[in-house]
Amino acid sequence: MTIRGIAVAAGIAFGQAKVLRTYESKLDYHLLPPAQLAREQQRLNRALKTLIKQSQACAAKLDPDSDNYQLIEADLLLLEDEELLAELSDTIGKRQFSAALAVEHSFAKQAQAMQEADSPYLARRAEDVLSLGQRLIRTLLTGHCDNLSRLPENAIVLAKDITPAEFATLPLERVSALVLQTGGVTSHTAILARSAGIPTLMSCPWHSLEVSDGMTLAVDAINGELYVEPDAAQVSDLNAQKQQADERKSALQALKGKVTQTKDGRTIPLLANVGCISEINHLADVGAEGVGLFRTEFLFMNNHELPDENRQYQLYCDALQLLDGKPLTIRSMDLGADKEVPSLAMDAEENPALGLRGVRYTLAHPELFSAQLRAILRAANHGPIRLMFPMVNQVEELEAVLALLESCKQELVEAEKGFGELELGIVVETPAAVFNLDSMLPLLDFVSIGTNDLTQYTMAADRANPLLIDQYPVLSPVIIRLIAQIIEKAKAAKVRVSMCGELASNPNAAALLIGLGLEEFSVNLASLLEVKQALSRWSYPDCVELARKALQVSRIDALNQLLTHCHS
Amino acid sequence: MYQKTVTIMAEHGIHTRPAALLVKAAKAYDCDIIVECQGKQASAKSLFKLQTLGLYKGVEVKVSADGEQAKPAVDTVAELLITLN
Repeated sequence: MTIRGIAVAAGIAFGQAKVLRTYESKLDYHLLPPAQLAREQQRLNRALKTLIKQSQACAAKLDPDSDNYQLIEADLLLLEDEELLAELSDTIGKRQFSAALAVEHSFAKQAQAMQEADSPYLARRAEDVLSLGQRLIRTLLTGHCDNLSRLPENAIVLAKDITPAEFATLPLERVSALVLQTGGVTSHTAILARSAGIPTLMSCPWHSLEVSDGMTLAVDAINGELYVEPDAAQVSDLNAQKQQADERKSALQALKGKVTQTKDGRTIPLLANVGCISEINHLADVGAEGVGLFRTEFLFMNNHELPDENRQYQLYCDALQLLDGKPLTIRSMDLGADKEVPSLAMDAEENPALGLRGVRYTLAHPELFSAQLRAILRAANHGPIRLMFPMVNQVEELEAVLALLESCKQELVEAEKGFGELELGIVVETPAAVFNLDSMLPLLDFVSIGTNDLTQYTMAADRANPLLIDQYPVLSPVIIRLIAQIIEKAKAAKVRVSMCGELASNPNAAALLIGLGLEEFSVNLASLLEVKQALSRWSYPDCVELARKALQVSRIDALNQLLTHCHS
Repeated sequence: MYQKTVTIMAEHGIHTRPAALLVKAAKAYDCDIIVECQGKQASAKSLFKLQTLGLYKGVEVKVSADGEQAKPAVDTVAELLITLN
């Protein structure tokens, strides 16, 4: 038996099924005879004790300043809350509910009351309460918490959903794969699974199959398939694939220390996209030549307190130190749209992708922006920093940003603080920016092409909407023409042109981009070696020829064919 | 009875994390501390109840307590309601 799912963290794994039941399937809605109620009360107390003990053990392993720790602490306060306990006992006693049913009832009521709050942020916290209620019910039904503490070796965990907080409690050394009914590539848990290297399938309706604990499973998180009790042929096929994947991996590892160049020796700088300082530590693992995109908004999104100028200055200096002379490309915070910050004022917008985001947001909040700019200027004393601004469409916006940067320098002079020289650039990510480039290029040292938003805004298609897969293809003729235009204009103005969007991380597109004249790539750490390998297989004249052909194509399928054909 | 009325300043209101901090602070006092907001009441020592009050930015909250520790208890809780975010 096999069933499909979305592969969100690549890999192939074999193991035994461990099903984390959700309670919907098991709750008994019959009212209990009064004689049984005392027993239910005892069961509830035992379950609470078990869950409290497990949460305490879990918290003990975490940094007390981390968000996870504080969320677990809030869980503990709820589990020990006298008012909640009184309500649960009352529900068991008066309504003759089982302990599990009482928990469901009370937590659902609680979540509803929270959802009624006149604040979307508070209302969303109701999910945390529901998740705690679920865990308590699971504990009641199974006698232990989340089944997680008792995972067998080589467990393939099947669940409806696993929250990031629950993921943090998984004994990863015993988990060989995850299969969830919900979620997709961009789910937070998917990101955690990828970075932990756990093969994971999401949106996989495994519950429609007869799966029970201990059954032999295989997860193919390359092609997106779950195998239940795979037969010998399937196992050997998967093993062959796994071996191939492992070999590919070690072949890539061999490229680590080598210069990135085409077959005919043209060198191309490959930089990395990072979202936090700790990722910079991994640059050396793949031989990246610097940071081509530092998404600074994550410094803000992951903190419940905003890092002030000094804190940011420290962070940027740390990054420069780790880079040891290699360039650090900082994108000023790109807030708004899908990136919300808990500690910042952000009004809900009807249409956030077309709203106050990128420099539109930061220019509207000059104090926040100036603090970042001053921190970057000061850090530039300690190493090479390139600073780029997101969502600049118009020369007026660029001038406003540069004026603010000048006034920040003035403030630093007055405060007798030193600052260094920056290279300045913009992220070209809207059609308007492409058409307005001529007026902006004289003010810039470099541009970086942001293909995700450029595609979204050109095609007028939301990249997160799975129904628009045809409207938001990985590559489309119109995007290639826009890229060609950007590169041509930038080169004519002697401005360096780089790319930091997803397309730069796509090994199938590497030769085409070189052929179009791209001078520098900034790619995801996980794809860097693959891009390097792809580039090494092409000579520069072949890349140019490929680009010439691609620019003549007007159909998406023809373009895909051209690229797959030339790579096979 | 000692009481104080404050306005919530936190951008996202008193959500789970700040509420948990508030509860922990309130538990240090022996007396009952009542938090009242938009016609609803809750004990400052119960995260369960506090969560249902809808303590979002801009709403007025009355904090009250009786007994010897009433003043420091109310002052502490009121201060936290203003400063936590």
